[in-house]
Amino acid sequence: MKLFKVISARLQGLLRREAVIGDIDEEMRLHLEMVAEENVGRGMSPDEARRAALRSFGNFDKIRERAYEVRGGGVIEASLQDIRYSARLLVKDKGFTAVAVLTLALGIGANTAIFSVVNELLLRPLPYPGAERIVMLWETTPEGGHQNTTSRANFRGWREQSTAFEGMAAFSDQRLSLTGGGEPEEISVQFATPELFRVLGVKPILGRGITQEDDRPGMPEVAVLSHGFWQRRLGGDPRAVGKPIMLNGEPYTVVGVLPAGFEWHIRKRSSTVRPAEIWTVLAMPTEGRVATRGRFLSVVGRLKPGASLEKAEAELKAIAARLELDSPEHNKGFSAEIIPLREQLVGNVRPALLILLGAVGFVLLIACANVANLLLSRAAAREKEIVLRTALGARRIRIVRQLLTESMLLAVLGCLLGLVFAWWGIQALVAISPSDLVNLQGVGLNLPVLALTLIGSILTGIIFGLAPALEATRLNLNDALKEGGKGAGGQGARSNRLRSALVIAEVALALVLLASAGLLVKSFVRLQTVDTGFNTEDVLTMVMRLPDGKYTEHRQIVDFFREATERIGALPGARSAGMVNFLPLYGGPGSATGFIVEGRPVPMPGEEPGTNVRVADPGYFRAMGIPLLRGRNFTDSEATEARHVVLISESLARRHFPGENPIGKRISVEMFEEPVMTEIVGVVGDVRYDSLVDEAEPTVYFPHPELVYPFMTLVIRTTGDPAEMTPSVRRELRAIDPNQPISDVRTMNEVMADTVGRARFNTLLLGLFAGLATLLAAVGIFGVMNYSVTLRTREIGLRMALGAQPGQVLMLILKQGILLTLIGIGIGIGIGIGLTGALAMTRVMSGLLFDVGSTDPATFAAIVLLLTLVSLIACYLPARRATRVDPLIALRYD
Amino acid sequence: MAKQKAEQKADLLQGTLDMLILKAVSLGPLHGYGIIQRISQMSGEMLDVEQGSLYPAVYRIEQQGWVSSEWGVNDTGRRAKFYTLTKAGRARLEAEEASWDRLVLAVAKVRQAT
Repeated sequence: MKLFKVISARLQGLLRREAVIGDIDEEMRLHLEMVAEENVGRGMSPDEARRAALRSFGNFDKIRERAYEVRGGGVIEASLQDIRYSARLLVKDKGFTAVAVLTLALGIGANTAIFSVVNELLLRPLPYPGAERIVMLWETTPEGGHQNTTSRANFRGWREQSTAFEGMAAFSDQRLSLTGGGEPEEISVQFATPELFRVLGVKPILGRGITQEDDRPGMPEVAVLSHGFWQRRLGGDPRAVGKPIMLNGEPYTVVGVLPAGFEWHIRKRSSTVRPAEIWTVLAMPTEGRVATRGRFLSVVGRLKPGASLEKAEAELKAIAARLELDSPEHNKGFSAEIIPLREQLVGNVRPALLILLGAVGFVLLIACANVANLLLSRAAAREKEIVLRTALGARRIRIVRQLLTESMLLAVLGCLLGLVFAWWGIQALVAISPSDLVNLQGVGLNLPVLALTLIGSILTGIIFGLAPALEATRLNLNDALKEGGKGAGGQGARSNRLRSALVIAEVALALVLLASAGLLVKSFVRLQTVDTGFNTEDVLTMVMRLPDGKYTEHRQIVDFFREATERIGALPGARSAGMVNFLPLYGGPGSATGFIVEGRPVPMPGEEPGTNVRVADPGYFRAMGIPLLRGRNFTDSEATEARHVVLISESLARRHFPGENPIGKRISVEMFEEPVMTEIVGVVGDVRYDSLVDEAEPTVYFPHPELVYPFMTLVIRTTGDPAEMTPSVRRELRAIDPNQPISDVRTMNEVMADTVGRARFNTLLLGLFAGLATLLAAVGIFGVMNYSVTLRTREIGLRMALGAQPGQVLMLILKQGILLTLIGIGIGIGIGIGLTGALAMTRVMSGLLFDVGSTDPATFAAIVLLLTLVSLIACYLPARRATRVDPLIALRYD
Repeated sequence: MAKQKAEQKADLLQGTLDMLILKAVSLGPLHGYGIIQRISQMSGEMLDVEQGSLYPAVYRIEQQGWVSSEWGVNDTGRRAKFYTLTKAGRARLEAEEASWDRLVLAVAKVRQAT
């Protein structure tokens, strides 16, 4: 209460400065008049009386000043003065100010931006009620594969036998062509069991979801629409329920519309790139082959409240074991696993984000060390000024306050600029983030994070501003004045040691960051230069999917695609054109299709060798630049009619026909209802279909008539820029069928870029941080060396007076700087190896590395070289300044 | 002249000015010059408060809430600011006097010890 009164009195004093001063003047003037009046009473003349009164009063101005200080102005005015003075000093010392503010701002900006993104991805609640109980259920394969889709029969087994779940739903994405009422369009459709919406906790805003009834044979096909689709295609019609839409040429009745913002897309194992816009019934026949064969279902479940993840998974594994016993021919070696939804959605970015977080922490540490360093050097350089002010009677608290004001001012400026950087940083992160990161578009500046960072950096300002301030004012005046410019005393040496320690720490941290970035860059380069097995230059690709209803005969489908590739191949600018059902690196079915070789013993069910299966035409190999190694390509007649021939990949030949000539051998691939023997006519080069990281899987190529797909990807090798071919290709296709949609028009280079997008993102960011850290460390080294030269001016002058050559002086300073750097590098390598070792153990780092060990000696050597070089450059400027010392001036310095 | 005076008069111990001011106004409201006169008179003219240094002290005491001030008119019809002891000021005065008495007693004991 009293404190409040004092403060309010002071504030009023400040606000009513004139009034308060007037009041004081009035009181003192009246006082003087009273005394003078008395003096007149004692017989003095009025003039004399006034002079005597003034004399007895003391120094009027000084007293008035002190009185005013007591009554009001005091602290706040002095602070304003401090701020003005500090601002003047900072403006005067532009270099120092710019470096300090920029350093802080970079640290704060980077930190806030990354934290905001991490917060969004890892910590923000998922948009499903009770999302912490939603989990994904997958199969594990005999080959050790994870997150594999399951079959209808197994899903049924899980659903019926488990007790830990409130509900469980299976779903599978497909793309269907939408016709009627506007442009024909390819739509992502999710086939789902009725429980899906209940498990996800979403209620339609119009109509209903999917019901058990809808799965009964003979019921009309139903469609539940996403809010976006409803708005886009139906104009948000409130009477949409009951209306028909045409998918693949068949009518579906709209039964419901989902709320805005609802999205359900598990990218893993999804055969569509875009999230579903329409949901319909997943048929679950209980009888026949279709019920057991084919693993294509993703499963999501909602745990009962209180049910533990571990118990649910144990139970699921037990069920899977029973299913394995029940039908070994399908389930041999298969088990099951549970992945929490958040891990499913963001799990794969978690290691990268955590490493980035660590990197950002390092950069912030380095930034703070640098600012501390700068402040320390500056305080040391101002020793004389401070001593002088103290000698002239400035109180210690006043000087400390002034120094503190300076560092606070720096911190505030740094924070403001940091805010701008943070904003840019977030925009940049969103812009370069790979497209498969969840919903990064909504990321904003995270206020709690920002507040935390700001508090942190202001604390840095206080601590590292206060330390030198206290240190400087604790000086013994006599010693300091005596030492004067020499500055070689204990004080200088002590703070110099502190600065050296900070520089060593900076170099060590920078080394760790550089090493991590170096490893990522090397991985990235390896990833880019991986032999994919095909040539990505000048290739245009696009997907064409024929509506089911329109081309009913296989003949028609084969002819359609054949005509399309022939017409396009004949276009000017097209070197060759071909087609394949699934492009490399585009997803598609896995590589576990069994096959048997004619004349060899039939393996046990479930133990057949597996292979990728692709459908292609002869033009595909030419257009993609996949070499024919043995035998021959498909002939034109084989591309028109089924002649039971296949091509195989090199790895299949190597693995299953070692030392034999596979040409002419016959194999039967389990793609058909009845086994069909096909003859191997040629061997082509390996292609990495699944990912760049994994070795190429064995692949069997069927010509189109053999295995008819209603959708194919056209592959066109062009003579010029492939993107420029798009309009003419579209024109040709429209000439065949004006209603035929095409989608995913991309060059092969774009497909590649998308594939390495995430790796590029990680590498770019970490590289950026490492660069930043190196720059800051260089600034730190420069600052320390520069100050050291100032301190040693006299010594250097003496050496030169005694005959030292400039070269020797240069070496003297360089040696000192390099020593600091080398110590830092040594410590950094220690930390680096320890850290990467620890990270590798937790699989955080190794998940990001490709074909590079986490302690790759070449990378470390290159980094050490780089850091040494950078520090040499940072030392060179101060060292050169040292060689220009004039011995005469240096020795006369005192 | 100042030197001569100092020989006959007692020096003001640091920290006692507050107590003297409080004591002076404890007998009734006074203006600044009045406080100086009252102290001088009460001390048998042995204590002279430097006129100028009174004001910062009085203002500090007022900020502490030990005295309150009011513009008024003195007996000769002059305008002046009058200071009155507050309740808190009276308590403070008593505390300072008690501590002063203890100090005097202690110093006396030390001096009488042989």
